[in-house]
Amino acid sequence: MKFDIVVVGAGPAGSSAAITAAKGGAKVLLLERGPEPGSKNVSGAMIRLDDFSSVYDVSSIPIERKVKNVDLILLSDSNRTRISVNVESNLATAARLKLDKWMAQQAEKAGAILITKTTVLGVEREGNEYKVETDRGEVRADRVVLAEGVNALVSMKANIRPDLTPDNAVQTVKEVYSLNKDEVNKRFGFKADDEGVSWRILGTDPVPYAGFLYVYKDAIAIGAGIPMKILIKRKITPYTVLDEVKERLGLNDLVKGASLREYSAKVIPEYGFPSWKACSGKVYLAGDAIGLVDPLTFNGIGPAVASGVVAGKASLESYECSKYESELMKNREVRRVVNGRPLVKELVEEENFKYYVKTINDLLHGWVYSDFSKVKLDTSKLLKHLLLGIGVFKS
Amino acid sequence: MRVEEKLYTLRYKKDEQPHLAIIDPNKCLKCEEVNGVPQPCISVCPANVYSWINQRIVISYENCVECGACRIACPYSNISWKYPRYGLGIALRYG
Repeated sequence: MKFDIVVVGAGPAGSSAAITAAKGGAKVLLLERGPEPGSKNVSGAMIRLDDFSSVYDVSSIPIERKVKNVDLILLSDSNRTRISVNVESNLATAARLKLDKWMAQQAEKAGAILITKTTVLGVEREGNEYKVETDRGEVRADRVVLAEGVNALVSMKANIRPDLTPDNAVQTVKEVYSLNKDEVNKRFGFKADDEGVSWRILGTDPVPYAGFLYVYKDAIAIGAGIPMKILIKRKITPYTVLDEVKERLGLNDLVKGASLREYSAKVIPEYGFPSWKACSGKVYLAGDAIGLVDPLTFNGIGPAVASGVVAGKASLESYECSKYESELMKNREVRRVVNGRPLVKELVEEENFKYYVKTINDLLHGWVYSDFSKVKLDTSKLLKHLLLGIGVFKS
Repeated sequence: MRVEEKLYTLRYKKDEQPHLAIIDPNKCLKCEEVNGVPQPCISVCPANVYSWINQRIVISYENCVECGACRIACPYSNISWKYPRYGLGIALRYG
């Protein structure tokens, strides 16, 4: 079988590439290894609705709850600070199985052919076309989009990018507890069934971690991400850290009586394009495969959709690699991730991470008690990170 | 709750053919000498896939949640890491 474009992976990047290329009139095959789109995907559950409107009909987007507040929680030693940020619009919680299925369905409606339960094993150039080898046989295409996620085995085998290392990977574990809708509303004090909240947690003990809580219609998701090198150095497992986080935050009470419905894990890349190539010949990489996750805001779906759209256009118009990579860099979402990396690299250093969580905690506690004597400001550190944060210098 | 109990929550279709393998067991011995126990692959794994028994790594691949951390963590690139065939393995409901 011969297609104009084969897209590998029906996640946010792959489906966005497929719908873009199919809308442009190309004959597109979308390959997904899971039994259905989303069934192999793990992520934080908060999305920005605006991220989808450029390519999808968002009137039917399957969301769980509209996020009314994002709570930021800082935990250091015994100090704890909680800041609740009121959200006007645009943020919602979503479950990946429903969301990814919806995106793939829209790609199918635009003309793409979706085949599931099929893993792509390799991509080889043969003359002017590509042989895409799968565990169910081979297909041919003029152009290929690799939106294969963080474990980008095909991209690595084709020597387009290297593997991650423990220095630039965060290991995340997540638990989803199911409860009925009324009970969820009661426990969080929601006045309506579509009202929701999400928490971002930064903690320093027993190891530095970034935690989260998301509220689905009938479930609560809790998780924690820990830099992989810290897990290795401290010889601690990620689920041990999550159990500690739950204990310290009293989350066991919050999910009391609820049954654990799902346990999952995901590696979050903290490195990638443009340090890695995003293209080779007419093969275009997008999303997690080139590390497009914004770890400061926990947003991977937005950059995945944005880069997928660029990859879809590239495959439709047969871009040269230099053009594809410069178009990626012109994209606001992609640029945000790329520009954030030097600061993220600094902040995931244990010493810096602990310093900020403790200092912000001490500042806010000082404000409450009118006593700032505990606050120790390291002005050179602050200035360096501030300048990195606003993009004055690059690392 | 033990990890094994957490794993019961997952929909799972087992591939009869293991998708994970150790390439050279001698490198695991070397890793134990250098890094001690538990080795990096054991520390990062969220599903207790790896155990160190009688001086060798034993793999319970049927527990795997397909996150890829072990491959990244192994200092000797000694884990052959593939996906289960035909979409077998885990199937998430929420994700």
